[in-house]
Amino acid sequence: MKNKITKYYPLLPVFAAYLFLLLIGRNISGMWQLVAMLLFYCAMGQAFNIFLGMTGYVDFGYVAFMGVGTYGMALAITHLAHIEGLGVVIIIIGFAMALLMSTLLSMAVGAVALRLRGAYFAIATIGVNEGFRFLIEGARIWNGSEGLIFTAQLNQILGREAASSLMTFWADIMVLIIAALAALVTLYYMRSKIGYALTALREDEDAAKVMGINVTKYKIIAFITSSCFAGLVGATSWALKTPYVFPPEVFEIHYTIEAIIIVLLGGAGTLLGPVVGGLIYGISKYYLSIFMPGFQLLIFAPVIIIIIVLFPEGVVGMLKRRIKGSALARFII
Amino acid sequence: MSLLKLENITKRFGGLVAVDKVNLEIQPGELIGIVGPNGSGKTTLFNVISGVYTPEEGKVIFDGTDITQFPAYKRAPLGLGRTFQIPRPFSSASVRENVAIGAMFGTLADHVSVDGSLEIADRYIKLVGLEAHKDKEAGGLTPVEKKMVEIARALAMKPKLLLMDEAMAGMNPNDIDNMVQFIKRIKEEEGIAIVSMVEHIMRAVVGLAERVMVMNFGAKLVDAKTEEALTDPRVIEVYLGRPHDEKTWKSEVWKEEKDSDG
Amino acid sequence: MPNKCINEDFRMVLEQLAGNLIQGLVLGAVYGMATMGLSLIFGVLKVVNVGHGAFIMVGAFITLWLFNALGINPILAIPVAFVIGMGLGFIFYYTTMQRLIKAPELATLLATFSIGILLEEFIKLIFGSEFRGYNWVVGKIDIGITVFPMTKLYACIGSALIAALLYMWFNKTRAGSAVRSVVEDSEGARVCGVNVGGAYALSFSLGIGLTVASGVLLTMFIPVGINPYMGGGYTLKAFVIAVLGGLSSPYGAFFGGLVFGLIENGSYTIFALLPGVEPFALTRFLSFVILLVILLIKPTGILSRK
Repeated sequence: MKNKITKYYPLLPVFAAYLFLLLIGRNISGMWQLVAMLLFYCAMGQAFNIFLGMTGYVDFGYVAFMGVGTYGMALAITHLAHIEGLGVVIIIIGFAMALLMSTLLSMAVGAVALRLRGAYFAIATIGVNEGFRFLIEGARIWNGSEGLIFTAQLNQILGREAASSLMTFWADIMVLIIAALAALVTLYYMRSKIGYALTALREDEDAAKVMGINVTKYKIIAFITSSCFAGLVGATSWALKTPYVFPPEVFEIHYTIEAIIIVLLGGAGTLLGPVVGGLIYGISKYYLSIFMPGFQLLIFAPVIIIIIVLFPEGVVGMLKRRIKGSALARFII
Repeated sequence: MSLLKLENITKRFGGLVAVDKVNLEIQPGELIGIVGPNGSGKTTLFNVISGVYTPEEGKVIFDGTDITQFPAYKRAPLGLGRTFQIPRPFSSASVRENVAIGAMFGTLADHVSVDGSLEIADRYIKLVGLEAHKDKEAGGLTPVEKKMVEIARALAMKPKLLLMDEAMAGMNPNDIDNMVQFIKRIKEEEGIAIVSMVEHIMRAVVGLAERVMVMNFGAKLVDAKTEEALTDPRVIEVYLGRPHDEKTWKSEVWKEEKDSDG
Repeated sequence: MPNKCINEDFRMVLEQLAGNLIQGLVLGAVYGMATMGLSLIFGVLKVVNVGHGAFIMVGAFITLWLFNALGINPILAIPVAFVIGMGLGFIFYYTTMQRLIKAPELATLLATFSIGILLEEFIKLIFGSEFRGYNWVVGKIDIGITVFPMTKLYACIGSALIAALLYMWFNKTRAGSAVRSVVEDSEGARVCGVNVGGAYALSFSLGIGLTVASGVLLTMFIPVGINPYMGGGYTLKAFVIAVLGGLSSPYGAFFGGLVFGLIENGSYTIFALLPGVEPFALTRFLSFVILLVILLIKPTGILSRK
């Protein structure tokens, strides 16, 4: 029995961090906006880490899954708002749509891209967000380049007050829940055969195959999981907080960049990494935007390079090394 | 029924015939050696057997199943294990995790759990004598230790047949002798068939293999009991590059091996 | 007479299509040249330069600045851009890429990606993010079925010239042969005494130099819309072209570019005839589909011999 519980110890620092953020946000006035942003980054990082961190493959089109999730929620709200009495159920349907659509897109992309190795995979994904965005605009689906605005429908579904409270508070709580879920799934994978298979294929794909690991299957598992969480994050952080969606905005490559920074900075493939990365990045970005607006990427780009060259393990990676063998090692993985 | 049957295996790379109509049969529990100079096609043959390559012609039949077209990952659960000449452990994982991976995806894949695999791993780590390094990162070990991790990992797969690629490369005569005893022990205790592949360390084959297949230019040259095969005039010619001179062969090459065996 | 009218209409459509295709070829030459650097770097160092488009953008800005601030015409900007590009290449190689030769693929992908971002932000800092252009008028040329501004023709000829020069360099010079040997087999080359590290540095710098120079040529084709983030679209196109031509072959890239130019122009014309779609966006979607299809079927490139 003891083994079963200690398996989940590493979740403690993660949940503690989220709880801490929640408390600060609620009790110190004016901090909620920052907390909301930090939660977003942590959630995005946890989701992205499931793929990038555990397989070592870079999906440059990652933001497409967040965009697709946003559309899922937006479509649910736009098309079901007129049905009387559904209320919150529509939001739930929106989540289901977001999950469905990100799963479909990741299966479509994965079917092609995941057969490819390293660099070819990156090339295949680099155009996914562009490709999808231009599909929407080009074929004028879902209102094409005009996007969807659904503030009115949201008010209609929930009533003005509830809608407003959703956009400014409950959506962020949902992001927190998603982040926590992502952490849970990450740990579950790490402790199961899936995690071992992913470690093996990350280190040496050919040797892994000879050991009996169906590398494509495990890559797909990680890919779809990661994409689904991305879809959920998009559905809450974007659709529910700002009730409109425009293709160029939700398929912006710079979110992928941020996700990469967060995962690398914190420690790719670790559980606590994305949380640490999300916090450091989010806080730095916030204060940079106050003191040196417009300079964020200029500073972060060389930071990525420095991390890759000098600290490829990230903060948590280095921390793990230091505390190896100590009592703390059970909590930080 | 033979454990492994290679029927007319031919593998080409563009115009080069790397493996040329090779036939081979291995029975369960047998210990055979595959020997041949550089470029004779041994490694390519291994790659065909383990599924890294698909042959242009011929069949690979393992335990009654035609696995010629099977991708590599499907062969391990059937009982086909392999170690590499240059060890390829999963560097950032611990020794224990490495060996456990062998158990998780090998012949026991469908009924063993992660915890069960770790237990199996402990057993084999003890067998190869790496208990002290159990939790260390595999990437930080010495080459010989990495080799032992490879072997433990392959054994944890509970294979029926183990392909060992130049298992003794880079070892001094003493280590080689230990390894020979160790391999004999594994064969007895685990009841698995072993194919040991070497280029020139005859010690690895003499006193170990019951039977030897000698390859040259991709084709099978000789397939006979060890001493017969290695004293075959054609084999001597291939290695020494000149017509058979049994006396010189025995004195220059054979003597060393035979003497040390006592 | 009805028959005569139909014939004339048909002829007009054919002429238009032919004109478009020729335009596509001309543009394709420039696209191809712009991709040669990418293929060179991948062929020699096995590194995918994900920041490719940013270097094209740098070339565009060099042209912009030289023309608007110093009145220097773009043709002279080509060698300047090339030299600056090689300089940038050396700097990035020795500070970053060299240390990542042994690192996993992830590292080099992210490194080149970040370098691209760095360039974009840096240029934005200096020039601001508005869209700019320049106006270089040197007349037009009429070849019957279609009309070209001379600038586009210069761009096309320039591209072909540079491709030819590169070919000669590869095959006639010692340095070029050394680089080719590294592409074939880096270990073998090392054993033969080739300074592999030097070859890497040279190839990387050359590749970047070519890419920056191509930015000049591209602006000769499209002298407007120059902004720090213009590179992104070109990166994707470059990948499609590179994969078309075989990722490691610079010549393949050139011909891949021609093919791509044809496809792009052709598809745009067709999409423009369809109701209810936005041809520009759909064309860009098509290039992405082409990329995926080729990667699925023949990742080594349709035009390569492997």
